[in-house]
Amino acid sequence: MRRLLALVLMVTCCAAGWRSAGAPYAFSFPRDHGSHPNYRLEWWYFTGHLLANDGHRYGFELTIFRVGIAPGAPTPRPEQSRWRDGEIFPAHFALSDDTDGRFSYAERLVRPALGDAGAARYGLDVHAGDWSIRGIDPIRLQARTRAQGVTLRLRSLKPAAVHGRNGISRKGSCASCASHYYSLTRLVGDGSVRVGAHRRVVRALVWMDHEFGSDELEPNVVGWDWFAFQLADGREVMLYHLRRRDGTFIPASSGSMVARDGSVRRLRAADFSIVPTGSWRSPHSRALYPSGWIVRVPLAALAVRVVPRLRDQELASRGVSYWEGDVCLEPLSTAASDRAAGDACTAGQGYVELTGYAGEVPR
Amino acid sequence: MIAGWLLRALVIGYVREHPWRTLLTVVAVALGVAVAVAVQLANATAVRSFQSSVNVVSSRVNLQIVADGAPFDERALMAVERVPSISYAQPTVTGTILAGSHPADPRSGEMLPVIGVDVLRPYPGAQTQEAASGEDAQGQRQPSLRSLIEQNGVLISQRVAARYHVRQGSRWTAIVGVRRYGLRVAAVLPPIVGVDSSVVFADISTAQELFGEVGQLDRIDCVVEPASAVPSVAAALRRILPPNARVTTPQRRTGEIVSLLRSFQLNLAALAYVALLVGTYLIYNAVAIAVVQRRGEIGVLRALGVSRRAIFGAFVCEGMFVGVLGSMLGAVLGALLAQSAVAAVTQTVSSLYVFEHADGVVYDWRVFAFVFAAGIVASTLSTLPPALEAAGTEPATTMRAGAFERRSPRRLRLYAGIGCALLAAGWLLTLLPAVDGVPVAGFAAGLAFVFGVSLAAPLGLGILARFAAWALARFPSAALGARNLGTSLRRNGVALAALAVAVGMSVAIGTLVSSFRGTVAAWTGQTLKADLFITPPGPQNTGFDVATGVSLPARIAQLPGVAAVDIFRGTEIHVRGRLTNLGATNFSSLERRAKMEFIGRVDRLRLQRELVGRDAVVVSRPFTVRFGVRPGETITLTTPSGPRAFSIEAIYNDYSSDAGFVVMDIATYRRWWHDRTINSIAVYARSNMDLSTLRTSIERAAAPARLTVQTTRELRAQVLRIFDRTFAITSALYAISIAIAMLGVTTALAALVLERRREIGLLRYLGLRRSEVRAMVLVEAGLLGAGAAVAGIVLGMALGLLLIYVINAQTFGWLIELGIPWRSFLGLAAAVIVAAFAAAVLPANVAARMATAEAVREE
Repeated sequence: MRRLLALVLMVTCCAAGWRSAGAPYAFSFPRDHGSHPNYRLEWWYFTGHLLANDGHRYGFELTIFRVGIAPGAPTPRPEQSRWRDGEIFPAHFALSDDTDGRFSYAERLVRPALGDAGAARYGLDVHAGDWSIRGIDPIRLQARTRAQGVTLRLRSLKPAAVHGRNGISRKGSCASCASHYYSLTRLVGDGSVRVGAHRRVVRALVWMDHEFGSDELEPNVVGWDWFAFQLADGREVMLYHLRRRDGTFIPASSGSMVARDGSVRRLRAADFSIVPTGSWRSPHSRALYPSGWIVRVPLAALAVRVVPRLRDQELASRGVSYWEGDVCLEPLSTAASDRAAGDACTAGQGYVELTGYAGEVPR
Repeated sequence: MIAGWLLRALVIGYVREHPWRTLLTVVAVALGVAVAVAVQLANATAVRSFQSSVNVVSSRVNLQIVADGAPFDERALMAVERVPSISYAQPTVTGTILAGSHPADPRSGEMLPVIGVDVLRPYPGAQTQEAASGEDAQGQRQPSLRSLIEQNGVLISQRVAARYHVRQGSRWTAIVGVRRYGLRVAAVLPPIVGVDSSVVFADISTAQELFGEVGQLDRIDCVVEPASAVPSVAAALRRILPPNARVTTPQRRTGEIVSLLRSFQLNLAALAYVALLVGTYLIYNAVAIAVVQRRGEIGVLRALGVSRRAIFGAFVCEGMFVGVLGSMLGAVLGALLAQSAVAAVTQTVSSLYVFEHADGVVYDWRVFAFVFAAGIVASTLSTLPPALEAAGTEPATTMRAGAFERRSPRRLRLYAGIGCALLAAGWLLTLLPAVDGVPVAGFAAGLAFVFGVSLAAPLGLGILARFAAWALARFPSAALGARNLGTSLRRNGVALAALAVAVGMSVAIGTLVSSFRGTVAAWTGQTLKADLFITPPGPQNTGFDVATGVSLPARIAQLPGVAAVDIFRGTEIHVRGRLTNLGATNFSSLERRAKMEFIGRVDRLRLQRELVGRDAVVVSRPFTVRFGVRPGETITLTTPSGPRAFSIEAIYNDYSSDAGFVVMDIATYRRWWHDRTINSIAVYARSNMDLSTLRTSIERAAAPARLTVQTTRELRAQVLRIFDRTFAITSALYAISIAIAMLGVTTALAALVLERRREIGLLRYLGLRRSEVRAMVLVEAGLLGAGAAVAGIVLGMALGLLLIYVINAQTFGWLIELGIPWRSFLGLAAAVIVAAFAAAVLPANVAARMATAEAVREE
């Protein structure tokens, strides 16, 4: 699901020629790690938790979007400008320094004209400038700005988890309100984090989403709350709520539960509950976000308290601001006094994305 | 206390008594100040609009990579982005489109600059776009990416949108080179500070295709952080960039263009200040008359014990008063005049130098401050001599009846001597070279001529008066007038000098413009030998693009009735860090068709052999003046293939650009510059061919490309039209200087008559009839006018020669053949004399009607 944001300039919606994600889709890997230029929107999305030898903790997000301008991403003819691209590549990179309590992010929007950005059609090879995600075993991930950088080598412990039914992840009641969506829910590996001139070697636990579609959301949806949990018991959970203007959720909201063996169980909206326990007012966008939740998935015997590691993990983007943050999972039974005693993410770790709180998401 | 009382007694009282004279003096100063303000403002506006065109992107851009001569490969951008301190890089393609062109009139329409950038790289510091709402304040939707990248979308200003009646989403047709393009208005932009409203923004993809620069860039705008790293980044970039990509800064680029304009602006400013100078002569005149008229009062005051210093101060105050009043009025008038001056200067600059468009006058307060101060200082200075004279008055002499000015002829001869010395010094100054391209000595010589003639004027006038009195001896009243003129020589001398300087300025400008025009006309006759000239449509020649350009000359050459075809390519390059022009043409026809006029003895056949296909060039005369090069030397030009040395084979005469031209064979140009664009085609018809038939067949052969086909006569007329437009501002100065001169005549004569009040009364008492008094005054006026006309023409000729042979030759390097417009000078002289008569009619009547008794009572 998620992250249609960051489109500084909007793309003509629903233009003829784009393929709808409403039709069943049979994923095939490694081909489907590559780009799908017949669909208007696509993103490769990495969130993860990094732990240095000295105990320093970080969370990071690296997302590369592909936004189609013309279906099929036609290559410019020789007499045409190479800047007449069929697609563009916005990208976001955020680093949460959980130990020092600092959050910073960078965004860029790169055109593939001179080979500065691109996505291979077969296999995982995406880059936007010098931010890149390449290879599948291992996945080499790299993102750097003047202020900070992350370099990781990752291996997936589980096969790709395809969400939804028949390869269709529903985003609304209309036939075309859907996407094709899979995740690599448990990527592990190592690498380094640089903040300023200071570099730390880290171990990583990462989640990857890859999603593509053309005409995603139901018209009355203003945003969504998305949760990805990597539980301490070896399972993973992905949940999303699509919010209406009045704050209610549309029935198409759903999720997935990935078992230790990698098998995927689809969760319907009725199968889980997400209850906010607090809120946070952004000093950047003035938006009021929920902050902290209690999440229950009874049929998976899951009940956790979701605690943001940092309150402020908002990307006040050029497009639309959203909150994308590193969270800690605690067993619901844990007393508040225990939580105060250091890192108590005993139930697992996760990432949460909250959109549509600072203005509607662009379509 | 005493000063205040004195001021009231001497100055304010006087002003109240003679409001019209004071007003005329104020107006004279005001006109001078106004001209100076208007011209300076126009100059400042021209410079400012260049700054905005150079630095259109963002004030944070502190380094620019600019294509020199030909665009560079766009892959340079990737190398640039890898340089660590460059935090932002914007690839840019620039060009012009022709909008609003009417098919029936190929010269119609407006050239609009286009800036093509990567629209997805917001300028640093640009405001965050409200993407969420999708609408801006104008109720427009955000431009869709598709409309910008896929559909030739452009972003235009509200002004352009209003002029061409288009809105967001409208289709908009423009001509680029010779081709029509369908554009789409992606958005209408609100005014952007620092960005010219005529600028059309497009995505780089659209711009590259419009201007035939696929895969190429004209410019990369960079932000280097920290700014202190600019020099080291520039050095690093020079190592990795292609040779024709110049690394520079916005300030330096503005400086280059400003220095290109400097000579033009300096000359304009110099002429403007002459107008102010004439104004100060009139102040001098007015104050001097006031001193004479109040001689009696001064004498009384002095006898009462008022100090010399106080009297001196009072008169200086009067000058300052007139100066302040005149300067204030002039500043307002100048601000109004600036509107039209800006249009004129912009037009000149556009046709001579770089294409530019000024949105409005830049009211730079420094210009006002400076000219205002200059006006006051000049008027104060001009009161010093009469004020000193007033202060020097002995009580005894002034109390004496009939104590008019009685200066010893020795003093006059001394002045005349100094004047002649100044003239000689001026002549010596003309022999000195320019300093750093500025003819400092030339300007000094001009001033020396002006002051020299002014100082010599009284003695000359005395001689004229004596001669006239002798010649008119048979007509007593006329002779009386002539003798009167001779009695107050110095006063009349100043009036004459003021008039002469104004006339001289007119004559000088007239000589320059007419000589220049004649030279250009002759030059077009000698060099425009072809029968038809083909250029892209539009008011400016923009160049044929590659697609049509290459095949078009060949297609035209094959048309029946065509004997031969010449092609021409012109572009701008930097030579030794200075902007100049590069031209290319087919020199294979040099010997057969005398299309260039070479300086010195040139064997055309040999020259043709040296030039065709070789690394050899000919340079225009202005080029040799700017760069100090001679035939036989070599000059290194930066080509896209690296720097190359070209031998200079000859100098040719050219009046199209004072930045200079270096011209090579088209084959040489294409070999090193890899550019197949051409700007114009000249067609030689077979002798029996009907030109209008040929024109039609050329237009048909070129379709759908749109061309302007002109006959030689039309082109010559156009060249002269551009010339006249170029000198429009000069002609305006000419007109204003005459207006100031006429004001001078009027004030001077009115003063003369009033001064002679008692004398005239006495004459009437002695039996002179009214008509005789009138004749006397008119003769006096006529003689003054004639004297001024003669002195003015002499001075004007000297200044004209100075402008042509020293100032112009040193700054622009144009070879101008002297052509004196005698007829218009005779007309001017006649006009001055007639104006003098006309100006004297009123004072003559006043004098004639003067009550005898009242006038004589004083005696």
